[in-house]
Amino acid sequence: MKIAVGGKGGSGKTTVAGTLARVLAERQQVVALDDDSNPNLAVTLGLPHGQAADIPAIPRDWLEEQPDGEGGTRLELKVPAEVFIDRFGVPAGHNLTLLVMGQPSHGGSG
Amino acid sequence: MRGVLRGLVSTTSRMTVVDLEAGLEHLSRGTARHVDTLLLIAEPYFKSLEAAQRSFALAKDLGIGQIYLVANKIRSPRDESTVREFAGRHAVPVAGVVPYDPAVVEADERGTAVMDGRPDATSVAAIRQLADRLLTAA
Repeated sequence: MKIAVGGKGGSGKTTVAGTLARVLAERQQVVALDDDSNPNLAVTLGLPHGQAADIPAIPRDWLEEQPDGEGGTRLELKVPAEVFIDRFGVPAGHNLTLLVMGQPSHGGSG
Repeated sequence: MRGVLRGLVSTTSRMTVVDLEAGLEHLSRGTARHVDTLLLIAEPYFKSLEAAQRSFALAKDLGIGQIYLVANKIRSPRDESTVREFAGRHAVPVAGVVPYDPAVVEADERGTAVMDGRPDATSVAAIRQLADRLLTAA
């Protein structure tokens, strides 16, 4: 099941998303994805502040540009999703892994 | 990062919960195609419900299969009936009603998870019910 949670800012979207992810993780493996440009799902999932603030950006060299079919390009994963999640997912408790989309860092690739 | 999000959602075998950017304008057709359930969180007042209803129409256009309204910060039976009446009028199914919960305010102030400090909180119970409903519907 792939669930997306949307709403106006201030609606409590992140609280519902985070708590829902925690509740679902009591029963099965869950990946929580933070796609908000002001990411704060980590804290809502219960990660300590220091750890939440320290989640590294995704290095640019794990991504590649692909044609988007509209004359432009978009970034795609270079590796299978599970490999990516294992490498960049932050453990957020039993059965729960957090990924923060944010902006990629240029890392060593320049 | 649209392609990355889409790639993750479309190919992981794990259950996925995506906290989207506020407003649905950024949700691309490509990502939407791989999301099977969209929850639109709305507060029980007109502007919030209107925004949710616009998002509902947009998400329907994008082809998301299950789209639900989740009422949040409900303080009274009247709040709940406001949401249900609005949802009924626009034929938007309601998957959950989450009460206004001081435990959430407290957790926000402290920067903690409601579930860690107050696992028995009323909002957590309501979200548990929401999870049950989604798993049953799937």
